[in-house]
Amino acid sequence: MAGISLKKVVKRFGVYEIIHGADLEVADGEFVVFVGPSGCGKSTLLRMIAGLETISDGTVSIGGRIVNDIEPADRGVAMVFQSYALYPHMTVEQNLSFGLRMTGHDKADVARRVKRSADTLRISELLKRKPRQLSGGQRQRVAIGRAIMREPQLFLFDEPLSNLDAELRVQMRVELARLHKELGVTMIYVTHDQTEAMTLADRIVVLNAGNIEQIGAPLDLYDDPANRFVAGFVGSPKMNFMAGRIVETNNGAAIVELVNHRGARLRKPAVDAPAVGSDVVIGVRPEHFFNAGEGDCDITIKADVAEHLGSVSYVYANAGREELIIEREASRQRANGDHLTVALRADRSLLFDKTGARVR
Amino acid sequence: MRLRTQTAYAFLTPYLLVFLAFWIWPIANSFWLSFLNTRSANWTFNPRVTWGRLLVDPAFANALWNTLIILVIQVPIMIALATVLATLLNSSMLKARGLFRFAFFAPVVVGEVAYAAVFRLMFNHEFGIINKMLAVASVPAIPWLSSPNAAMAVIIIAVTWRWAGYNAIIILAGLQSIPEDVYEAATLDGVSKTRQFFFITLPLLRPVIVLCVVISVIGTMQLFSEPFLITNRGGPGQATETLGLFLYRQAFGAFNFGYASAIAYTIAALAIVISLINLWLGRERE
Repeated sequence: MAGISLKKVVKRFGVYEIIHGADLEVADGEFVVFVGPSGCGKSTLLRMIAGLETISDGTVSIGGRIVNDIEPADRGVAMVFQSYALYPHMTVEQNLSFGLRMTGHDKADVARRVKRSADTLRISELLKRKPRQLSGGQRQRVAIGRAIMREPQLFLFDEPLSNLDAELRVQMRVELARLHKELGVTMIYVTHDQTEAMTLADRIVVLNAGNIEQIGAPLDLYDDPANRFVAGFVGSPKMNFMAGRIVETNNGAAIVELVNHRGARLRKPAVDAPAVGSDVVIGVRPEHFFNAGEGDCDITIKADVAEHLGSVSYVYANAGREELIIEREASRQRANGDHLTVALRADRSLLFDKTGARVR
Repeated sequence: MRLRTQTAYAFLTPYLLVFLAFWIWPIANSFWLSFLNTRSANWTFNPRVTWGRLLVDPAFANALWNTLIILVIQVPIMIALATVLATLLNSSMLKARGLFRFAFFAPVVVGEVAYAAVFRLMFNHEFGIINKMLAVASVPAIPWLSSPNAAMAVIIIAVTWRWAGYNAIIILAGLQSIPEDVYEAATLDGVSKTRQFFFITLPLLRPVIVLCVVISVIGTMQLFSEPFLITNRGGPGQATETLGLFLYRQAFGAFNFGYASAIAYTIAALAIVISLINLWLGRERE
């Protein structure tokens, strides 16, 4: 088992810089999820830790040892790929044992590990089958089983569940959490699915365009995002963003006018508020709209569509050029362009300046 | 018959007529011919002088032997070479891949007569470049085109030169269909590049290699141009006479169309049998 340390890690492909100096400390046994939109560099960063991509600058350490120039096989890592990367011509048993057999491990030891790995992943009945005779979920189990075989200090997962259907994904997610508990090994997991990130991670690393935007526990990111990108990326349905303008600042607070809501004004405590007249953005999560009169400021919107999920309903509304998603109590009422008045609360809304940085 | 179907057949008719006249009819007719004695004034039914003769004709046995020798030596060497070429072409370290790919494929495009003339010159006993190079290495000159074994070697070298690149391109397509992450998984498992080649690449290439072997077997069974043009009609003597050449000699030299038809059917049958054996050996085992 081992912790990982990234120091000013840079990746360049030719003249293009993909990762712009990532710093990260992962504790021994921690489950860290890299999350971000496609092309943000999360897989590249994972592959750099694995040794499948060279490190252009900075250092990667695993278990206190700098591994920049160490071969992938000698880093003590095992990786599970999005496409499973099983050897198609080998049986499950051969897939599990291939690496160890090729590197001259003792046969009895290999057999013992195959058994243990198959038991852990519940694939003992599949050992004689070939990958194409397996379902997606079974293949993914075999891929994870193969990773376990090496008894690594560090597991790397590159979007391992994205090829599975929704139901199986939930099931495998639970199994991965169980596996992490059982093995207690450090795991780094890449996904673009923020639900996976929220449910699996001890800590989430949010990446955007090659930069680490924020690192934190799932609910910390949810409740206290550092910027607009993180606020928008974490949480489903997404946070609503409403255009605003600072109309007054006094006593450590800013009065924000919501420009698309007929001058509705919200008083937000802000130590370092932008100057009067600055454009700002107010962020409100769908569940943080309250009944009219029960908050600090009311807005009236026209409900276009309502989605009823049974436990809650989501009302989709347009206000000016803003799309709003508002969570309401469960109902069966259709939205027919009805007007709906809801309240915002200062302590349940976030203030961002025009660059997207959080104003606290 | 429904109108739509009728229309479809109407459009197909011109092609089907040509297909019938120039494919089906010759195939059927030559089968019938293979039972006739075509050397008498009136062609009479006499399979003894066609199919019967195949069993006892030493010239046929010689051509069959030569063809099988070329098959057994040339096909494995060429496929092995093609696999190596394809692997090199697939290497990420290779610059100007397109140029190499074209260069390896070019021999197929070159006219047979032109390439045969060049090979005859290269392997010329007195002033050919091959013997000149051997002389530099102090190897005595080899009578390439007048010694039976050497002439056979020239045929094998020529056919290999001509078709190795073609097979390499097919194998390259197979290589490129193997996903990169399988190799990455093996790399993380600590499996060396050499072992990756033998335990991952080769097994995954098996269907493509079997295809190449089958195509090559069919080609070699019909081998004609090289012995006709390079070793001057299967020379020296009949040392490089192949089944294709023997068929040609019987049909258009001796005008013995019945016997030639029987040879043609034998060639086709052998090609099918050997290809089936290859497919069976190369099948996916459960």
